Amino acid sequence: MKKLLILITLALLTSGCMQPKKWTLTDDMNGVVKSKSFQMTVPERWVRLTTPLTWEYVEIDGENQSMLLEAMTVTRDGADLQSINVIRRYPDNAFPTIKKKSRASMLPPEVADLYVSELRKRSGLERLKVLTNKPAKVGGKDAFRLVMQYKNDDGLRIRIVSYGFVDKTGFYTISYRAPYLYYYNRDYKRFTKLVDSFRQLKGAHEPPPQIPGWMKIFT
Amino acid sequence: MRKILYLAMLSFVSGCSTMEGVTSFTSARDTGSLHENERRLWHEAAEFDSTIERSDQIYKDSKATAYLQKTMDKLYPEFKGKINVRINNSTELNAFALPNGSIYFNIGLLSRMENEAQLAAILGHEAVHFIEKHSFQERVSTKNMAAFSVSSIPFSTLASMSSISGFSQELELEADKMGYERLVKAGYDPREAHKIFQHLADEVEALGIEEPYFFSSHPALVDRIEEFKRLSANYKGKGRIGSKTYNSLMTQIRLDALRNDIGRDRFKSVILVMEDSKKRKYYPAAGYFYLGEAYSRRDENGDANKALNAYKKAVKKAPKFSPTYMRLGMQYMKSNDKSKAKYYFKRYLSLAPRDAGDRGYAKQYLKSL
Repeated sequence: MKKLLILITLALLTSGCMQPKKWTLTDDMNGVVKSKSFQMTVPERWVRLTTPLTWEYVEIDGENQSMLLEAMTVTRDGADLQSINVIRRYPDNAFPTIKKKSRASMLPPEVADLYVSELRKRSGLERLKVLTNKPAKVGGKDAFRLVMQYKNDDGLRIRIVSYGFVDKTGFYTISYRAPYLYYYNRDYKRFTKLVDSFRQLKGAHEPPPQIPGWMKIFT
Repeated sequence: MRKILYLAMLSFVSGCSTMEGVTSFTSARDTGSLHENERRLWHEAAEFDSTIERSDQIYKDSKATAYLQKTMDKLYPEFKGKINVRINNSTELNAFALPNGSIYFNIGLLSRMENEAQLAAILGHEAVHFIEKHSFQERVSTKNMAAFSVSSIPFSTLASMSSISGFSQELELEADKMGYERLVKAGYDPREAHKIFQHLADEVEALGIEEPYFFSSHPALVDRIEEFKRLSANYKGKGRIGSKTYNSLMTQIRLDALRNDIGRDRFKSVILVMEDSKKRKYYPAAGYFYLGEAYSRRDENGDANKALNAYKKAVKKAPKFSPTYMRLGMQYMKSNDKSKAKYYFKRYLSLAPRDAGDRGYAKQYLKSL
């Protein structure tokens, strides 16, 4: 038993589960952020995670399940005030809560519909409204551009803009979330610059990693 | 056996309609003098009301809301102005009462009902929770008085003490019994009451879901249906059913409920409703579009064809409903049938409102074809 506990602790410390959420301030030296599958230019003087997250827990039918992904978060004043999330999900768990896979043949409006359902179901935000859904390009690929909004319990309007596309390597989203009051407009242009700078990398075409067996113990 | 237990419980309930020390309201005037602890409960409920209002969860349809309120006032005229009915923009099959007389009716439940008598049966039930102070009774009975000393009680506490999550079985039975009496007194046909429960029992079974909140702590649905049938068995009157007004007011609500169901990936519910001719007849023809969406979402063997057929039916029966044309355009574009795809995108652009979200896609795809 003692050995098992030590093993588990070691595994946690040396793996993604205990990935320290270290943040670093961006400047002209580290403004271009590279992950395995993508790269982008982060606004100067914003903070970003030092390494991308590689997995997350998703509650599916009342049970937590671990899902592989590649996710990078950047913010200026703190994630509650504004955040940009760039996420790549693998085809088999592209929409995990609604149990849908992504296919390269999906059209952007179809993907957008699934994405909104996933957001609503995952967050429980039945009241999340889609304000606009328009075609866009991200890294040269056909994409959607969704503008969504909801009011939190205090009546504060929270706006989310998401760009997204699918290809055979998975489902990619670049989302900006901020209170509509003051923050949204202030930082929106920086977000669009980040979207313009997004590039897919060769690493995207490598086979997806496996979830380590020990991780499943906790799911 | 279950039925005997149910009847035994009902007779017990009828013998003790109020808990010792908790007096029920007899009219709106009584609500002016509340016990201090009750006032706190009302304050919590008012906070809850504000949160729902602020966070945009109210379904805005002034005509339908006024109709629900009028039905409630017909059932409980002595509480006019004190029981306030609102429509909640949620597709969960639920309705609930707060201790301050606020009653919320979800569009999911509204869209499944068929007439005013059924609506009145649920409203009658919910109002009893307020009039008989069931929230307060549960707090007293659980000896949870310490909670009253806290000035700010979280909403979850209120939720557990309101009909959002259901009351004890005895209190639910009391609400059934007293609500039924009011239904008859107000001139409604009580034989309609069991139908809504039957309808929901079918749904719960077909979808393989746990009973929704409205029934979660209630007596089992089957017992309830039997009891309502028993109560109305000797009814010889010609009570009001009120189908026409009800169904005309529910047209948009039903369409929005279908759209929200798809938006939350509740495709099973849409298929259940739209594939059952008895249920479907209450839904607008544009509902076929959402049936197509539901099959696309389910994505099992043969569903692609079922979706296509549903979209075609939508075109035939609701020819001015633009979203169907967009979907058909996309389907034909994917199967490389360019001429049909072009036709449907053009139709979409001619029918869709100028600010319709998908216009950009339709224009883009037309250009590329």
